Amino acid sequence: MTLLSSPRAGLFTLLLLLLGCDAPDTKPQSAMGSLMGDNLQGYTQVTPGQTLRFPEDHQAHNDFRQEWWYLTANLTTASGQPLGLQWTQFRIALSPKTSESSSVWATNQLYMAHSAVTTAQQHVAKERWARAQPQLAGSDAAPLAIKLDNWLWQSQSQDLFPATLTVSDEQLSYRLALNTSAPYQLQGDKGYSIKSGDGSVASYYYSQPFIQVTGEVTLEGKSVNVSGDAWLDREWSSQFLNKHQQGWDWFALRLDDGSALMLFQLRSDDNQASHFYSARRMYADGSGRNIDSTSAPTDIKMTPTDWQQTPSGRYPVGWRIAIASEQLQLTIKPLNRDSHMPLSVSYWEGPISISGSHQGTGYMELTGY
Amino acid sequence: MNNPPSGRHIGNPHPLKGWQLTLRVFLAHYRQSPLQAGAIIIGIILAVTLLTGVRATNENAINSYSNATELLSQQAKWFITPLPNTPLNEQLYFTLRQQGITHSLAVVQGMLVDEQARRWQVQGSDIIAAMSAASSHSSNDENASSRHRFNGDALPLAKLIAGEPIVLMSQSNAKQLNQPTLTVEGQTLNVIAVDDQLNLGNRLLMDISLAQQLLNKPQQLSYIAIFNDVSAQKVQIEQWLENKAHLSPSDNGDSMKALTNSFHLNLTAMSLLAFIVGLFIAYNGVRYSLLKRKRLITQLQQQGIMKLSIMSALASELLLLVVVGSLIGFIGGLQLSYWLQPMVSVTLEQLYGATILPGIWQWQWLAQATLLTFIAALLACSSLFIELLRQPLAQSAGQFNQQASAHRAHKRQLWVSLCLAAVALIGMALTDHYRITMALLGLVVLSIPLALPWLLQQLIQVIERVAPKGLVGYQIAETKELIPPLSLAMMAMLLALTANISMNSLVGSFELTLKQWLNARLHADLYIRPPSSQMQQIEAYLAADKQVTGIYQQWSIKSRAKQQPIYLVARDDYSVEHTTVLKTAVDNLWQRFLTGDVVMVSEPFAIKHQLGLNDTIKVDVLGDSPLTVGAIYYDYGNPYGEVIVSTVTWHQAKLSTLPISLAVTYQGDLTQLSQGLMQKFSLSDALIYSQARIKAQAVEMFKRTFSITKVLNSLTLLVAAIGLFSACYMLTQARMAPIARLYTLGVNRRQLSLMVTSQMLLMVILTCIVALPTGALLGYLLINKVTLQAFGWSIAMIWDWQAYFEVTLLALVASGFAVALPLYQQTRRPLISSLQSDVL
Repeated sequence: MTLLSSPRAGLFTLLLLLLGCDAPDTKPQSAMGSLMGDNLQGYTQVTPGQTLRFPEDHQAHNDFRQEWWYLTANLTTASGQPLGLQWTQFRIALSPKTSESSSVWATNQLYMAHSAVTTAQQHVAKERWARAQPQLAGSDAAPLAIKLDNWLWQSQSQDLFPATLTVSDEQLSYRLALNTSAPYQLQGDKGYSIKSGDGSVASYYYSQPFIQVTGEVTLEGKSVNVSGDAWLDREWSSQFLNKHQQGWDWFALRLDDGSALMLFQLRSDDNQASHFYSARRMYADGSGRNIDSTSAPTDIKMTPTDWQQTPSGRYPVGWRIAIASEQLQLTIKPLNRDSHMPLSVSYWEGPISISGSHQGTGYMELTGY
Repeated sequence: MNNPPSGRHIGNPHPLKGWQLTLRVFLAHYRQSPLQAGAIIIGIILAVTLLTGVRATNENAINSYSNATELLSQQAKWFITPLPNTPLNEQLYFTLRQQGITHSLAVVQGMLVDEQARRWQVQGSDIIAAMSAASSHSSNDENASSRHRFNGDALPLAKLIAGEPIVLMSQSNAKQLNQPTLTVEGQTLNVIAVDDQLNLGNRLLMDISLAQQLLNKPQQLSYIAIFNDVSAQKVQIEQWLENKAHLSPSDNGDSMKALTNSFHLNLTAMSLLAFIVGLFIAYNGVRYSLLKRKRLITQLQQQGIMKLSIMSALASELLLLVVVGSLIGFIGGLQLSYWLQPMVSVTLEQLYGATILPGIWQWQWLAQATLLTFIAALLACSSLFIELLRQPLAQSAGQFNQQASAHRAHKRQLWVSLCLAAVALIGMALTDHYRITMALLGLVVLSIPLALPWLLQQLIQVIERVAPKGLVGYQIAETKELIPPLSLAMMAMLLALTANISMNSLVGSFELTLKQWLNARLHADLYIRPPSSQMQQIEAYLAADKQVTGIYQQWSIKSRAKQQPIYLVARDDYSVEHTTVLKTAVDNLWQRFLTGDVVMVSEPFAIKHQLGLNDTIKVDVLGDSPLTVGAIYYDYGNPYGEVIVSTVTWHQAKLSTLPISLAVTYQGDLTQLSQGLMQKFSLSDALIYSQARIKAQAVEMFKRTFSITKVLNSLTLLVAAIGLFSACYMLTQARMAPIARLYTLGVNRRQLSLMVTSQMLLMVILTCIVALPTGALLGYLLINKVTLQAFGWSIAMIWDWQAYFEVTLLALVASGFAVALPLYQQTRRPLISSLQSDVL
């Protein structure tokens, strides 16, 4: 799940413009559309009825346009302070054709990674870029590794878990041990997750909402031991938004009854009625229940209650969420209102706390503002 | 021309009011004779244009050295460079990034030759790393100058990183190329033109995936640029790099600045010369316009305007003219710099390997130029103003006592000139530093024109003695009268002529010296520089060829000595003995050199560091042991210092045993040999040079080095010609009345025209004659002092008569036109009006 709002000047702008180059009539203004939508020729399409296979599907799918490995964690420091952590590695295909060059540098794939640590007072976000190159960036199968420079998800087996996640940068670094015993949760229809009311856009999507974490986080020179829970999302597709969709609000919520809730709305540019909602209530035994606006148009209600102005836009950082069929009445509050990510692509991403019918913690991502 | 605006008595007005009134009167005066204001402004414009033009060019180049960024990226803070003879493996880059030094950039460089035998400097980098460093740089620093940002409108990133045959070229180069593709190594490359702001200079930029293949450098890097400050990790990185590569901080262009210092100083000197010549014109204009206003000013004073008001009005007028002239000159200068820059860039790139960024300019240059011009003009004109105000009110604007005072002035100028020359000559004998020599040369340049009026006076007196009486006698006697009004323009002309002649003789002499040196230096028929991987095979191949009569080897690496980059060179014993053109040497040189007892250093290196025989130096790659200088040899056109050691020393130092290049003497058809080599080893012809080709290229490169100086020189001469034209024109116009008087006395128009023209031409010819020895003197000083000290090149002076006659002809044509025009105008109006002009 993720990404994209008004792109800032930077490499990503270039990418968007470049993608626009393939289709000369695409205007840069509709850059998001051009990345996520229009020019699909040559890429593999997401179709229903496919079976996700593990461990193969943990690896990169270079024939799809974009893909990500997305980890968010709600941790507690040794002194009891809440701390949020995010790590994402994106893959972007620049062209559906693989390179014909024999050079080890030649590729049609680009990687970008984001990493952020959030406390009530601080929010530090970092970014890395590299071309796909076995030594620079990519995914390895055995043992499984997802890497970009010295940011590394290193598993002990071909599965994603147990693994160590190491990230190191000037201002922030962390080293986390990740483990789980819960089965993967396939979102949507066995991993086929539709992203619009008419079903024209979809992705392959699976999650692991039940990860136990221990480790050490260093923020601006100060190290703390941390422990807590994390959530991994895996998603790939060749088109993510249709041209009427402008962004999304996405929630990964861990409730105090041991369940987890994945919830998103894709905002349409015309009116609220055509927003697309999708959710899945999930349990550690692998079971769960889907709700979306196609089958239950009025079941999910999401209302912004609080806004925050940031240099990259005005974001709804407080929410009231109701899902009648699941008896959920939740109020969402951010740990740090200023958790915007001023990177090549700007968005808001940070830890939240839950109150109302249930208590809990989670993560929220807001794009397209 | 000099009518008072009204006859009404003004009384004794307030100084401010008087100032205003006087300015208004002056304005009216200039409205009547715009030519006078025009002459002043033209002088200022020309002076400021050349000053600003060269300044912008220079500062831009120097700025480029310090701000040089990695292509499409930001400025590197550290560099990892290969050790001598061990190419940098790309694995180092991967490991570096895996270790967390991620803000780094892998670069591979080289030279490619296209189908039309054009040489292209190629830079291949990890484009993604370059661009992400650039974008992180610009997002960290919102105020980063727009230069650092780029819009990648047309960058075909997908194709670039896929290793497709795509190269980026600066817009201006692409325009010159005028074709969409380049064929290199049999591969057709699509050329994408990118904004000149991306600072590609003359380089071709491509992704490393393509560059490594085209340059035949698989897995190799030329260097790694690091954008973070890694000073804290320096020790660890160095340990890790041990025996693999070298870590060094970016010097922000300091070594490039040191290398190009003398080049830029020469340009500055040329521009100052042009500035002075321009000021001469302006000064002449002011003088003339004051002369024309003498009566007017007297009348103003008689009307009760205070001297202070008149003085300040004159100063204000000058300021206004300076401001207007400087502004136009500033714009002209920027345009000039725009034209000069490609030339300078090419020179700097070819000679020093420096890349020049697109132009920059600053408003403060305008302010400085204006101020400088105003102060210079005020100083130059102050004596005129004071003289004007000292003149008693009762006296009319009589000009008859001028001769006597002019004569006194000429004598004074002669004395000043002699003093300046004496100081310069004594100073030059004492100093070895080219900056001081340059300044002293400035004194010589000033002293030459100062002596001119007196010299002209003397020369004409000599002619007067031998000339027949009658009209010719009158004519020559009158020519003497022309010296004071024309002397300034003549001085400017002399200055330009002298500079031009001296520069021509420098360039001519250098070309000849260079050719002779090349003849001695190049003994083999073919020079080959194969990739080191093929060196042994090629040597074996050549040895097997019966027509090959000799194979000579050369080893070379870049190192440092005396804190400057140098080349350490070794050649086989025969080559060293037979191709080194020695300047001085110790006794028994060859015996001592070949055993490794002494080394030889190039003349430029020796002069720069004041090395003599038996002095010692240390070279980085040879460790701490001091090397004794046993000989100094001539080396031209090489901006780097060079040290030659014997093969014994080379091998002892455990430097690469593989030679870097081979030279071959051959008895058969050279083309066949080189074709054979190219085919057998698939060598590019960029790696194989015949003797003739090296010579041609060396001479070409040298010509480029001087092309910029030549252009500036011609511009200075042009400025002087314009000055001479305007002076002659104004003078001839002013002399319409005496000419008309002669006409009324019965001299016919043809005779008159002939007379006036020949008078002017006589002056110009005499000036050109004076320029002959002064040009030779200046040329001598340029060659034996400035060039020797600045570049370290000994040159035998050659005199170029043809160039001398060319510039003389230009001067004659300019003055001929300047006289002909007013004469022609005069024939078209009634005589009476010319006569009247004297009275009014």
